Amino acid sequence: MLCQNCGKNEATTHIKQIINGDMAESHLCSDCAAHLGYSDVFSGFGLNLSEFFGGFLGDMMPSLSTGNAPRCPKCGSSFDEIARDGRVGCADCYRTFYDKLLPSIQRIHGKIKHSGKTVSAAPVQPKEETVEEKIEKLRAAMNDAVAKQEFETAAKIRDEIKALEGGEN
Amino acid sequence: MNKWYIDKGDQGDIVLSTRIRLARNLDEFPFPAKLDVEGKNKVNELVKGTLFENDGKDFSYIEMKDLSRIQAVSLAERHLISPEFAAKKDGSALVLSADESVGIMLCEEDHIRLQVMKAGLALEEAYDIADKLDSMLASKLKYAFDERIGYLTQCPTNLGTAMRASVMLHLPALTRCGQMNRLANTVSKLGLTIRGAYGEGSLSKGDIYQISNQITLGITEETAIANLKSIVLQLVAQERAAAAEIIKKPVEEDKIFRALGVLRNARLLSTDEFMELVSVVRLGAARGLVDIPIEKINELIVNMQPATISAANAEATNASARDVIRAKTVREALA
Repeated sequence: MLCQNCGKNEATTHIKQIINGDMAESHLCSDCAAHLGYSDVFSGFGLNLSEFFGGFLGDMMPSLSTGNAPRCPKCGSSFDEIARDGRVGCADCYRTFYDKLLPSIQRIHGKIKHSGKTVSAAPVQPKEETVEEKIEKLRAAMNDAVAKQEFETAAKIRDEIKALEGGEN
Repeated sequence: MNKWYIDKGDQGDIVLSTRIRLARNLDEFPFPAKLDVEGKNKVNELVKGTLFENDGKDFSYIEMKDLSRIQAVSLAERHLISPEFAAKKDGSALVLSADESVGIMLCEEDHIRLQVMKAGLALEEAYDIADKLDSMLASKLKYAFDERIGYLTQCPTNLGTAMRASVMLHLPALTRCGQMNRLANTVSKLGLTIRGAYGEGSLSKGDIYQISNQITLGITEETAIANLKSIVLQLVAQERAAAAEIIKKPVEEDKIFRALGVLRNARLLSTDEFMELVSVVRLGAARGLVDIPIEKINELIVNMQPATISAANAEATNASARDVIRAKTVREALA
């Protein structure tokens, strides 16, 4: 697509804006974007961030892209696609292409080690089981134990079930 | 219920509002750009269900496809959603609290964009609210997270804390003195950016600027907030000093009262003219030259945006109809 302003160069900056209560989209080349003040009011950060990041990754890309490049097992993105779009496909892409992404991440943030809030490593808490569900599970375990002729274990489980049933009343 | 912006907060003569935004994704789903509508709806239902089960007291759930263009753009004008999100339809949804201070965009650029807004400068308070809601969601949902690079986001510029803290400032005096370019350069060296009020690529209307943290990886939420706060306080002090100088000049004082005269009497007001004049009047009000409560001016700035007028007035179907309504509303408010 050609720049909407000069009509000469390839449009590289795409801007969605709200003008007088309506959505407007402009497609500009980098010169016109800068000239019209779109490359942010000031410091040149207003470029579409994915263009911007794509640029970051772009010069990291190998010039040969082969058909059997590794792909993310979950979403199927290849590293080339991520670099082209400036968008990562899913959480697993970060794991799959971690080493390849790291230099760009460092260039964007200056750092590569997270500090701040974390998600606890513990698995997500399952919903709390009801007493009935617990008893159901224990019964299954008891039958299992009986089948394996582990009567001591089965007796223990039976006592647990009794205790739970008692608590219910 | 009163909306959050009808209030004057800390540093309210200069600071319009504070916003904290956290980006989060669910581990099991591809990011929204790689997700079909069905997948997006699954994500939305999952987050919605968790939220309403645990903290649903005053939230409403809005599917973007059910909104008219005017309603969607009006939400963006009030900074409740991003302009990009206003254009979205199927598969995107918004959770909004009754006072509009807490909003969660579902399947915008990331699965979850949780944002908290407050009047005036209130970074810690806004973060506290966002943090609690986020922790509640994190205890029920499996977030995409990596110990090394933090919260995983569709765009790597948000990795780490994935927190964007922004403060909206009214800086008419510094703008008039031609200081904004210099300040923007200084601020960018400190890992922050200043831009127009409507985000990337937008020019500043009414001398309103948004300053936010740029770096999210390797810096804690607390440090990022403390940095931003200290820079904002310096900008506020500089703006006050510049404004105090400006209003000493008779020609500038004259400008303020002329602007007020036009706002009180005009029969037609375009958005641009209104923003230009209201900025001058707000400067006068902030410095005690004009006796109009700042809250009233803030409310006008929000409510006089074009789509917001059209959303509230069925007859305002085009710009000239809006200009009549805008002039009338402003006249009555400032009478």
